Amino acid sequence: MSLLSVRDLSTEFRSGGRWLEAVSDVAFDLQRGEILGLVGESGCGKSTIAYSVMRLLARNARIRSGEVWLEDVNLATLDEEELQDLRGRQISMIFQDPTTALDSLFTVGHQVIETLQEHLDLDAAGARGRALELLRQLGIPAAEQRLKAYPYQFSGGMSQRIALAIAIACHPQVLIADEPTTALDVTIQAQILQLIRRLLVDEQGTGVLLITHDLGVVAQVCDRVAVMYAGKIVEFGDVHSIFANPLHPYTQALLNSLPSKGIARGRLENIQGRVPGLADRPAGCRFHPRCPQAKVVCRERVPPLRQVSARQEVACVLYD
Amino acid sequence: MSSTTNGQRPLLSAVGLSKYFPLETGLLASLRGNTSTVKAVESVTLDVYAGQTVAVVGESGSGKSTLGRLLLRLLQPSAGQALYQGADIFGMNRAELRAFRRQAQIILQDPYASLNPRMRVDQIIREPLDIYDEGSKAERQKRVQELLERVGLNRNHERAFPSELSGGQRQRVGIAAALALSPRVIIADEPTSSLDVSVQAQTLNLLSDLQRDLGLTYVFITHDLSVVQHISDRVAVMYLGKIVEEAPTEILFAEPKHPYTQVLFSAIPLPDPARRMNWDLPKGEPPSPLNPPSGCHFHPRCPQAMSACAHTVPRFQAVGRDHGLACLLYEDGTGS
Ligand SMILES: Nc1ncnc2c1ncn2[C@@H]1O[C@H](COP(=O)(O)OP(=O)(O)OP(=O)(O)O)[C@@H](O)[C@H]1O
Ligand SMILES: Nc1ncnc2c1ncn2[C@@H]1O[C@H](COP(=O)(O)OP(=O)(O)O)[C@@H](O)[C@H]1O
Ligand code: SF4
Ligand code: SF4
Ligand SMILES: [Mg+2]
Ligand SMILES: [Mg+2]
Repeated sequence: MSLLSVRDLSTEFRSGGRWLEAVSDVAFDLQRGEILGLVGESGCGKSTIAYSVMRLLARNARIRSGEVWLEDVNLATLDEEELQDLRGRQISMIFQDPTTALDSLFTVGHQVIETLQEHLDLDAAGARGRALELLRQLGIPAAEQRLKAYPYQFSGGMSQRIALAIAIACHPQVLIADEPTTALDVTIQAQILQLIRRLLVDEQGTGVLLITHDLGVVAQVCDRVAVMYAGKIVEFGDVHSIFANPLHPYTQALLNSLPSKGIARGRLENIQGRVPGLADRPAGCRFHPRCPQAKVVCRERVPPLRQVSARQEVACVLYD
Repeated sequence: MSSTTNGQRPLLSAVGLSKYFPLETGLLASLRGNTSTVKAVESVTLDVYAGQTVAVVGESGSGKSTLGRLLLRLLQPSAGQALYQGADIFGMNRAELRAFRRQAQIILQDPYASLNPRMRVDQIIREPLDIYDEGSKAERQKRVQELLERVGLNRNHERAFPSELSGGQRQRVGIAAALALSPRVIIADEPTSSLDVSVQAQTLNLLSDLQRDLGLTYVFITHDLSVVQHISDRVAVMYLGKIVEEAPTEILFAEPKHPYTQVLFSAIPLPDPARRMNWDLPKGEPPSPLNPPSGCHFHPRCPQAMSACAHTVPRFQAVGRDHGLACLLYEDGTGS
């Protein structure tokens, strides 16, 4: 059984008196001890998937259909109290801006210890000991003093480590990380990614859904990747296969637009236009207005995600 | 440092340029001890030749933006000079400064924050022309049209407000406004950092086209080394206010010599799963410029630090043709 299994998830937002779909029939599985990347340009629906899974959606949003199985529990049907109990203990999330997860009024120690005591049967001394151990594991120097400090006294990188400490304090089976290193410098980004890869995934067997728009990050740490475009997964599979042989025209275009691809100076390939807004999603293949290989049929036919090789699925009429 | 390129004189240079910000007293000061200034930029010397692109790279807080603002005299220096065609921009009188300001422009990172939300696109692009009283009304309007076309925007965008445009389109408006007065040099401070890769590629292509067609000179400030490799002729690497290494792009990428440059390169996530990084990462974070480490500022994180590094300040010196760096490993009498 997969650790996390998302089936035919559709999520919509109410806007201008209408319900508009942001995520359409998305399905994927996350296994123990793997990092699954979710990539795509801004506005493709990556965060909406994360919030749908966590059931932390905005007020004007709703899951229209679909199931989110965490082992044998369908999160989509739980009530808020049951969810509260699972969040932090079984499934946790970290965000691009770590300060959203930290309360500026309390010391970092208070917040880590509170999370531990909420979910685990620990006395004050036990929780404190575990908190110290966590901070050390996450490479936070002078852990004793840090516990007494307030969030504003930390750099962005240090805050993200603390947010990660709180998120993993109770050994959740699943961690959802939404652009966790986008705001950080490269050396700090590398440290955080290394912690996620080695400590969480390789040592503890956590399953991580890593949301990013950085294909470099995907290539370096993910096992599998789902490429999203305008609310749908357009290509899915093993990272090595997809980077070596991207099949979907959108995946190809994203990879070709990277500056580091060609060492020599010169023109970068690029995708014309931009991701359509929720109200402007075209019929047929949603990528067709920007696709260099679009055919007439692409304007009408919605290509389903199909298995085209042992390790790759793609949604494009070229592979029908 | 690079003294000559084909015997030319640099268009723009920094000579021992420093900027110390006075530290406010109060909470921050009491937290950090008794330091009284932030050394945002410290003795920076850098030459920029006409038609070239020099990239300034470094982590957050290393002083890149402060250096960029000094080079445009948007800040007064604490020490040193900035020369434009050999003349010190800080010694210019009003008329000279006005002439300089037309020739040197800036493009900023966040086109959201840098464009006036209440002005329409054509007004934003025309504003520099109005300020400098360029041409007749009709000529200005014509110039706005030219600029819109030049940066790949069309008439539909002319009357739009910035909020109605995408990030990439807003960046084009910023570029058009910077081009209005036909400058020779543009300081681009993280112009693509907030953009998706696809839009970043469009913007980088536009900047290359403009350089080719208009002979522009760029100082390109960024923390993204993959962009640097694509766009620049030379690279200066900054750490805590100082340039620690400077070289032509190909040389720096082929053979980074300074331990910090090496660390920075090893941390770039390459988009190639067949070449995964070895995770040999530096410990810790960049220290605060409020209280920089003694000796070589990089020593607490440096994988090759020696005992001398904690108290000896390395000098910037040439290690090859057009290649300079500041590290005790390369100084005579110490290390290798
Ligand atoms: N007006 C100011 N007053 C006080 N300190 C300042 C001021 N401007 C910059 N600094 C400080 O100077 C140092 C260098 O800042 P600068 O903005 O030049 O860095 P940067 O390399 O551009 O960083 P980033 O990558 O985050 O843009 C930082 O420590 C910053 O906090
Ligand atoms: N609260 C909201 N109300 C209305 N539309 C929203 C809301 N949040 C996100 N959207 C829209 O949903 C789409 C997907 O957004 P998001 O999931 O944040 O994308 P990503 O994380 O991939 O950048 C976008 O078009 C966005 O504008
Ligand atoms: S289905 Fe058609 S438009 Fe869509 S990606 Fe494939 S070729 Fe392009
Ligand atoms: S001077 Fe010493 S500490 Fe500084 S970079 Fe060189 S070896 Fe490292
Ligand atoms: Mg998002
Ligand atoms: Mg800056």
